[in-house]
Amino acid sequence: MTDRASFLAAVRSTPRGHDPGLPDRGQAPDAPTELRDGEARIDRLVAESESVSAGVQRVSAAGVGDCVAQLLGSAGAIRIALTEDLGAHAGAIRDACEAAGLDVDDYASVAPDRARAGALQATVTGCAAAVAATGSIVTTARGAGRAGALIAPTHICVVNEHQIVGGLHELFDGDVLADVGSLFALQSGPSRSADIEKVLILGVHGPGNVQLVIVED
Amino acid sequence: MSVQEDIGGRPLPPGWAAPAHQPGAFELPTTTFRERADRTMARPFARKAIAGATDHAAALTWRKFEGVDHDALRDQAKQIRAHAIANLPDYLEQWIDNAEGNGTVVHFAADETEARRIIAGICVDEAIQSVVKSKSMASEEVSLNSALEGVGVDVVETDLGEFVVQAMGDRPGHVIAPILHRTKDEVHALFSDMAGEDLPNEAEALTAFARAGLRHAFLTADGGISGGNFLIAETGEVMLVTNEGNGRLTTSVPRVHIALVGIEKVIPRRRDLAVLLPLLTGHGTGQQITTYVSVTGGPRRDGEPDGPERTHVVLLDAGRSALLGGEFEEALHCIRCGACQNVCPVYRQVGGHAYGWVYGGPIGAVLTPLFRGQEEGGEVAQATTLCGACDDICPVRIPLHDLLLGLRRQRDAEGQAPRGEQLSFAVWAAVCSRPRLYRASTAVSRTALGLLAHGDTVSARVPGLRRWTAGRDLVLQRTSR
Repeated sequence: MTDRASFLAAVRSTPRGHDPGLPDRGQAPDAPTELRDGEARIDRLVAESESVSAGVQRVSAAGVGDCVAQLLGSAGAIRIALTEDLGAHAGAIRDACEAAGLDVDDYASVAPDRARAGALQATVTGCAAAVAATGSIVTTARGAGRAGALIAPTHICVVNEHQIVGGLHELFDGDVLADVGSLFALQSGPSRSADIEKVLILGVHGPGNVQLVIVED
Repeated sequence: MSVQEDIGGRPLPPGWAAPAHQPGAFELPTTTFRERADRTMARPFARKAIAGATDHAAALTWRKFEGVDHDALRDQAKQIRAHAIANLPDYLEQWIDNAEGNGTVVHFAADETEARRIIAGICVDEAIQSVVKSKSMASEEVSLNSALEGVGVDVVETDLGEFVVQAMGDRPGHVIAPILHRTKDEVHALFSDMAGEDLPNEAEALTAFARAGLRHAFLTADGGISGGNFLIAETGEVMLVTNEGNGRLTTSVPRVHIALVGIEKVIPRRRDLAVLLPLLTGHGTGQQITTYVSVTGGPRRDGEPDGPERTHVVLLDAGRSALLGGEFEEALHCIRCGACQNVCPVYRQVGGHAYGWVYGGPIGAVLTPLFRGQEEGGEVAQATTLCGACDDICPVRIPLHDLLLGLRRQRDAEGQAPRGEQLSFAVWAAVCSRPRLYRASTAVSRTALGLLAHGDTVSARVPGLRRWTAGRDLVLQRTSR
């Protein structure tokens, strides 16, 4: 059995190739995944999310609960779970969902039982950030859990406007990913596949219905 | 409540999967490129589908980078990859330390056999009886599924395309689109057979059928096996991109996660993803970003609601370290986006299976002789036109065309070219370096071809040049003397 020392020795035994050093990365690269000059973050996030077939709602803090309950109603979801990263919105969302007669659980209490987690019809999560230029929601193991955003056919994500970063450079250079736990993840719209003759199908393994609820500052 | 009733999932029928390919059971040593290519060429759908899909992907890629300095971005990516590979031992060590710090158990596989043995061993030790797999080309390299079956583990490929490949006993035809060469009708027949009923012949219904079986597999599997797109040295994390979501479920739902990753996938920092990720996804599928980008750092930690109890990462060398510092080192810069396949005039006609091993297209024509040796793999480096389209589209600017030329020279130097080819080039060199002989030979050829011509055209199959003349007319230019 090869151990660490002999494995690395094999890698070290060859001469080193040319090292051009790392590029100077003080500023964002000129890439499609960055904000363009003069662009408003929230507008780009809305446009990119819609272009990957995610729904977007813009609400005030007071309207979050009703908005989420309404979206769940349209999706026909009854068995739902909320994740810990909803923060200050958790109470209002729970109240509105219970008032609508939904069966509401904490994701943390459902997740250990895979059959129960698999039977969820929707999850409602917060996020660690949203990336405007890619239409992505960023979740973490500590917040939405590793699978909280994609275990159910419908995922509703609450994004506070101040959580929106411009592009990937700002996401990876900033401190929002400082303490993510065992995973951080970007998800951009519904799960998809075009494996069968290039026909686009939504909702393969992850949710087919993804809704962003942006809480305006 | 039972899993079956409440989630729409249902177990896959017994015996649904074709037997796994045995280790080393590649076509490469037993068939020629021409024989393999002919098989795809004989299937009109495959030719049309491959050309159509690759055209589409290449067009999307160029469009995705309109309005940005695409060249500057690729220069930065090349620099990051070159720097990471030039310092591979250090970054690898940093990655290992950080991964172990995250609670990941790191294993070291010097070759394919060892990778198989390690992963089979993990399954035994962890009492794993069933695994779900997320698409991994490294696992194709080591024929992992047969090793798992060997220790009694049920394996389910969860990428929709790979699921079809596994059920058919096929091999993936493209790095990122495994069933590019298969029709909907073929998938319909396969799934209907599996279901025991005639399913609707629509992509949506067929996908829903697969989803139900795969959903059940996700919710019951003991282990999840994935590859990795990048290893991030500064954090000890593994990054994985998918569109279906199977990657995240594989790495997060079962109680054990095992990743098999080539050592060349190391990058220094998370922030390097701001350059590499848009290139990987833009050149891979023409997307701004793939639907799911998952970055995992070990098993579930205290206070987290879900995640595996144990995480193992198996680092795979299998011929990679031997390339460091040498003429072909840049082959290790590859990020497996598949763009070079999409623009290759040869791949677009013959598809992935013609290359006989795991990787097709220009990068396959480079990696196959490098990883399998010239004797077995040298032929596929000849299967290129050297047009340079692959150099033009490569997101990390690998000089594929130079590497292919280098491999052709190496094959010649090792005396691995077929006797006939060696002999004809020796004769050609001798004739061309002797003016009188050259003139005499052209006179003889002109007379000989004149005898075979009808009018100004030679349509006949010229002896000794049958392959060349079978599909081509030769137009004689008569010189006035």
